[in-house]
Amino acid sequence: MLTWWRQLSWPEWRHHPWRTGAAFLAVLLGVALAFSVHLINQSALGEFSAAVRSINGEPDFELRSASGGFDEALYARVARHPMVAIASPVVEIDAFAFDSQGRRITLRLLGIDALVAGSLAPALLPRPAPGQDRFALLDPASVFLNGQAAQRLAANGTAQTIRVQTPRGEAQLHIGGGVTAAGPPLAVIDIAGAQATFGWLGRLNRIDVRLAPGADRAALLRDLGLPAGVRVATPDEAAQRVSNVSRAYRVNLTVLALVALFTGAFLVFSILSLSVAQRQPQLALLGVLGLSARERLALVLIEAALLGAAGSAVGLGLGTALAALALRLLGGDLGGGYFAGVAPPLQFSAAAAAVYGMLGIAAAVVGAWVPARVAERLPPALGLKGLGSSAPAPSTRALGPALLALGVALTLLPPVGGIPLAAYGSVACLLLGGIACVPVVIALVLRAVRPPVDPLALLAVERARRQRHSATVAVAGVVASLSLAVALTVMVGSFRGSVLAWLDTVLPADLYVRAGAGGPSSEPATLPAELVARAATVPGVARVESQRVTQISLDPARPAIALIARTLDDPAARLPLTGSLLPLPAGATAAYVSEAIVDLYGAAPGAQLKLPLPDGSEAAVFVRGVWRDYARQHGAIVLASNDYRRLTGDDRSTDIALWLRAGSDPQAVREPLRRLAGELGFDGALLEFAEPGAIRTTSLRIFDRSFAVTYWLQAVAIGIGLFGIGASFSAQVLARRKEFGLLAHLGFTRAQVLGIVGAECAVWTAAGALLGLLLGLAVSVVLVKVVNPQSFHWTMDLAVPWGRLALLCAAVLVAGTLTGWLAARGAASRQLALSVKEDW
Amino acid sequence: MAVLEVVGLAKRYADSVVFSGVDLRVDRGEFVAVIGESGVGKSTLLNCIAALDRIDAGSVRIDGIDIASLDEAGQAHLRRARLGFVFQAFHVLPHLNVGHNVGLPLLLQRRPDPTRVTAVLAAVGLDGFAERLPQTLSGGQLQRVAIARALVHRPPLLLADEPTGNLDPATAERVLTVLHEQVRHEGAACVLVTHSAAAAARADRVLTLTPSGIRS
Repeated sequence: MLTWWRQLSWPEWRHHPWRTGAAFLAVLLGVALAFSVHLINQSALGEFSAAVRSINGEPDFELRSASGGFDEALYARVARHPMVAIASPVVEIDAFAFDSQGRRITLRLLGIDALVAGSLAPALLPRPAPGQDRFALLDPASVFLNGQAAQRLAANGTAQTIRVQTPRGEAQLHIGGGVTAAGPPLAVIDIAGAQATFGWLGRLNRIDVRLAPGADRAALLRDLGLPAGVRVATPDEAAQRVSNVSRAYRVNLTVLALVALFTGAFLVFSILSLSVAQRQPQLALLGVLGLSARERLALVLIEAALLGAAGSAVGLGLGTALAALALRLLGGDLGGGYFAGVAPPLQFSAAAAAVYGMLGIAAAVVGAWVPARVAERLPPALGLKGLGSSAPAPSTRALGPALLALGVALTLLPPVGGIPLAAYGSVACLLLGGIACVPVVIALVLRAVRPPVDPLALLAVERARRQRHSATVAVAGVVASLSLAVALTVMVGSFRGSVLAWLDTVLPADLYVRAGAGGPSSEPATLPAELVARAATVPGVARVESQRVTQISLDPARPAIALIARTLDDPAARLPLTGSLLPLPAGATAAYVSEAIVDLYGAAPGAQLKLPLPDGSEAAVFVRGVWRDYARQHGAIVLASNDYRRLTGDDRSTDIALWLRAGSDPQAVREPLRRLAGELGFDGALLEFAEPGAIRTTSLRIFDRSFAVTYWLQAVAIGIGLFGIGASFSAQVLARRKEFGLLAHLGFTRAQVLGIVGAECAVWTAAGALLGLLLGLAVSVVLVKVVNPQSFHWTMDLAVPWGRLALLCAAVLVAGTLTGWLAARGAASRQLALSVKEDW
Repeated sequence: MAVLEVVGLAKRYADSVVFSGVDLRVDRGEFVAVIGESGVGKSTLLNCIAALDRIDAGSVRIDGIDIASLDEAGQAHLRRARLGFVFQAFHVLPHLNVGHNVGLPLLLQRRPDPTRVTAVLAAVGLDGFAERLPQTLSGGQLQRVAIARALVHRPPLLLADEPTGNLDPATAERVLTVLHEQVRHEGAACVLVTHSAAAAARADRVLTLTPSGIRS
């Protein structure tokens, strides 16, 4: 078979280098994009996991608090237990530090006992800087920075101190040296220093435990009788959690990257279809000479496989280079925020390369399947006359509607392991089914059209009527790339619109205030109760509401969720509800859960939920309604403030919302509030203010950044599609040179020949654009209503940006028409007459 | 008046001379066969006559019109109105039915005439074939469709390039008979390029093309 390829196909490739090159390039780009996205994500995840492991060390297990820490007396019991070889106490704090420009940088602080921790986590062992006292590692006011922290906070080792935010204000800590732990900015400090500086006296939030040889963990835990609020965790839990929560994002991004490969498969289909059509006489002759139908099929498939293999091989190299460049320029975060602060080296995987290489070959072979079947079914006698059919068998007419129906059915299936695999399959079925329906749709439309009298129109219409398969080939690339572009545009537009509407509901006040101490994932700092009470007396303030946010854990295997206590006089107006509210049973406490809580914990409206409260007790609440939350992917539960206070006795606040009097300037309210806080013994400099407009701008910037890679991949897919339009129209025009030669003999002018081709290109591209638009809208419904909710546990309202879609379709129409016309100009040359000669 | 007058025609491709000094006159109603060795330029001669290929010397007049005096559109209009073509490989458009294929020259002149199409099809023995698609026809039938298309618009000059080259002897004989009859019937002139002695034998004159000219 390879001998036949060398003798039959290779000369064809050399004779049509541009056509062959287009198919090769399509596979190459698709594989390069998909593989580079995979490498970036895997390198970031691998680096992050390694960093977590180096930080957490190698204990047998950890004792962790659910929230708020636990009494350090537990440590003494654990350390003295005969089954315990080593017990290392840890205080983990997420805080903010300030770099040399005064910018806030997230900093993880680990308070450790350096004499013990080094045995379990060598990467955390403080290494005093040259010239430092060797007991500096026990100094409660000294920190030891990892590489990232030193680079970002200590000006690469030239600074002597760093400033950090604490619940009591700013603290200046001396830089005593470094640690070898990798990953995001990290500082190690003596545990006593951590407790004193950050208000954790008498408390810990982690104990790392290594068992004595032969000890049984279960027996130890039974003996210890852990207090409420303390749980057992495995050392790689954090890495596993990031892997799990980022998996949907990584899979979505990889699927998007595979879109380019999917579009490339359609390009291979277009190009090989035209190649088979043009080689009909040769293939027919081979059939007459003894090449069987199966062997003709195999020949075309081998052509595709070799093109795919060559494209994949180069694509893997290009993808690796792209990934290396992206990791150097962007770090490991492609916009989702899961791997922020990670600067991973490239981690090449031969197994992944093999998988993506095979995907490239598979895409090419799948794209070649229909043309290969046409070659298989070619009747040699008619083919020698050039009259063989280039259409698939009639039995495939049902394929299009069947795929569309399957696509709809797949949307009803649940996700698999949190990944919407059935929904992705639905998208593929809708696209393939839509394209397969093109010949049937054309036949239906043209049934009502009589043969025109105008010769140009007659040629175009009858060609469309009798050679519908050629039309499918021409529009396939347009439909594939445009429909995916339309779907992504609608999905992103819908998401953005829903985020804006959500922000309008959740940010009704004119100014928001919170305490700036504490890092992004730690327990929020609270404000003085009297500050909340007296804020309304500040000139310009009309009304004040407070909010309390705390972290609780419904499932130790999942990240903590937010418990929010706020004013809820009218829940339907105050919360962005996704449905109606259930009546509250008498005596029950109402809870309003976010969509993620419903998906992850099954807490649908009407359910009873047991809430673990910060003081260690539990409270039963009734789920009255569901609200949309784009801020907390892991979930959030809202209680009315008075219910929360009744259940917990906790009347502290973490946030204040201020409504201002008409004409008041939000800026003018800040200083009086800071002074008021200072009078009450709270450092006014720690107050953070935010106006809704600024929050909206920041949110949208984060949103746009998270979709930046999506936009880039979408642009590449459109580029491949437009390139495919050009390649397939050019190839079609070249394949029709004999027809154009005949028309020249009959007396058609060159302008008329150009007019036919230009008009056909315009009509086919318009038809492809229309079909792409319709299919794209259908796919967008799947993305909005199925993929996003199943992946990220939130819903959005469908919003179609008609203006932008019209521009997209117009761009495709212009590109397709122009490309075909330019190809026709080359084909309709003086040498056209020669093309009718049999032996040319 | 002669339908076709060729004087001192020469054709070159790069440094290679295909032919030179070709003189040819064909009157209305004449059937002229042009023979010669393979590669001598017989098809090139027809393309030059039809203004489909550039001539390097000499002149060609069709119905008294010097084709060199016309621009590209004018030459196309000339072919549309005054020439008919029959090719060795038939060159019937597969996506048009037989009727549309035959009637295409009339549509080009914006004078559709279904009656004329029907009559011509009957004349070539393809009565009732108008709605058939080319894929369903034999080689001989396809060539008769091509002949019908070449004559439907009553051109004064027919150019036939190896019209029986792809046909078996019996079918070729039938096709030649149809071609001969219809050319006579329409009063057209015909220049037939052929390798076939049988085809040449039917001509009023047989000319031999050589690189240095054309001779009887």
